[in-house]
Order: sequence, then C-alpha cells, then structure tokens
Amino acid sequence: MKHVVIGAHLERGDVEPLAEAIPIADLWLSGVPIDDAQPLGDRELLLRVAQTRAALLDRATFIAIRYGFTAYGESDATGKCSAHIERWRRVLREYRGMVEMTLKVAAETPRARPDRHDFESGAAYIRALHDATRAAEVAPEFRNAVDENLAPLAVKHRWSARDTASLEFAALVRRESVSAINDAGIALKRDFPSIPFLLSGPWPLEVFADDHE
Amino acid sequence: MTDSEEELGLLETLDHLLDRGVVIAGEAVVSIGDVDLLYLGLNIVLANVDAIIRTSQPKLIK
Repeated sequence: MKHVVIGAHLERGDVEPLAEAIPIADLWLSGVPIDDAQPLGDRELLLRVAQTRAALLDRATFIAIRYGFTAYGESDATGKCSAHIERWRRVLREYRGMVEMTLKVAAETPRARPDRHDFESGAAYIRALHDATRAAEVAPEFRNAVDENLAPLAVKHRWSARDTASLEFAALVRRESVSAINDAGIALKRDFPSIPFLLSGPWPLEVFADDHE
Repeated sequence: MTDSEEELGLLETLDHLLDRGVVIAGEAVVSIGDVDLLYLGLNIVLANVDAIIRTSQPKLIK
C-alpha cells in the first residue's frame, strides 16, 4: 500500500477526512491510498485525485505536489520531503487564505516549435526550444489591460511563457478577491473579443509554491 | 455549463494536476567520489484524458 500525494498542508484538519494525512515534521501531506500494483495512469485514480484536490482546496490553502509522487508511509514521506519542509512551512503560513488564478492567453505571433530533426545535438534543440518559448509575446494592449485591471487585485502576480504559442499570467489572490478577478476577466472578454484567453481557478499554490526558495 | 466548457474545464484541471506544483523527483542520491549522481524517479503518466469525466469544475472564463 502506498499513497499518491496531493499536497502539503499546515494543519491535520485541512486534510482529514477528505484524504489521509501523512505527518512530515509539523506539516502534513494529503494522500490517496492505492495498491502498489495500481498504475498511476489509471483514469479512475486520476479522477479521484482531481476531485480530492478540489475538495481540499475548498477546505484550506495548500501547496500542490505534481501528480505522480508516491510515498510509503511517514518515514518515507518525511525522507523524500525533508529538503522542502522549512520552506513549505513559511509559504503555507504566509499564503494561508490565498489561492492562485491563472490566465492563459494566445501569443500574438506564435513561434513554430523547433523540429528536433533540424538539430545535430540535443543541447542545440533545447536552446532553440527555450528561445522560441521566450519569444512568444502577447498583444501589448491586452497585456497592459491585464496589468492594469487584474494585477492590482492580486497580492503577487507573474507573467511566464508556457510554450511557443501562449503566455500565462499567474496571480496569488486572497480568497475574497476571486470574484473580483472573475469580474475583471469578464470585462477583458468584452474589451478584447478577438483575443483567445482562458481565466481559471481557484487553484492551490502551484506557481508561488517555490517562493522563499 | 456547456459541453465545450466542461471539456475545457477538464483539460485545464488535468493540466494543473499533471504539469503544475512542486516536483519531488529526487528519490535517491548516489555519490561517487565528490560527485553526487542524482537518481530521478521518473513518473510517467499515460492517461486517456478524453475518457475522464470532470466532476469538479474550476470556474472558467473563455
């Protein structure tokens, strides 16, 4: 028996009874128990983890751990997470009561993804892929509107290039500001009907989970 | 919520589940001399995303 780990939490009560609570020092991991032989790609398991993740976020803010990490009990979990615990504690305390919202927007001039066959080395290909991703740009007037209307509602915000065709605006917001962010998104859709974008959330701490590193 | 919005919500949820959050990849560290060789536990996920039914939708504004 092992656990698929969903996130790191400040309080045991943030986890139970929605998921199993695994202690790591004074913090807690949320986990879904599965048989050792169960494949992580099982669709029912993915669905179960997604449902539990959403329910946990309704309960309290937590640090999201990417799907696929498993632990065999307390000592295994503590050993694997020991390097993160001190930082997680600071992040969870500082950002308690906050969630993330993300806005993905299509690049104004999407770059073609480099073809691996055009490169003699893997390193050259990775560099070209990185350059193409960084070159993606959003229409300046749209980006300005996001910076002027959504960013002030956030405690922190960050633009990042996700791939060669889109950029993402991530915002750390207080829970009580989520509806205002959604209203600002509706206004953006009205003002920029031709620019494809997707505003979604709330999400657990994902982009801002690495703060204090 | 329309079918297309539900599908979008599902894809967004899976993107966050599979591609976001803290990566705990170091499963073991083996040292040779003064050089640490980090063994990465690769977590390969193969899922038929089209078949997964989304039941907990994030709020979406397209």
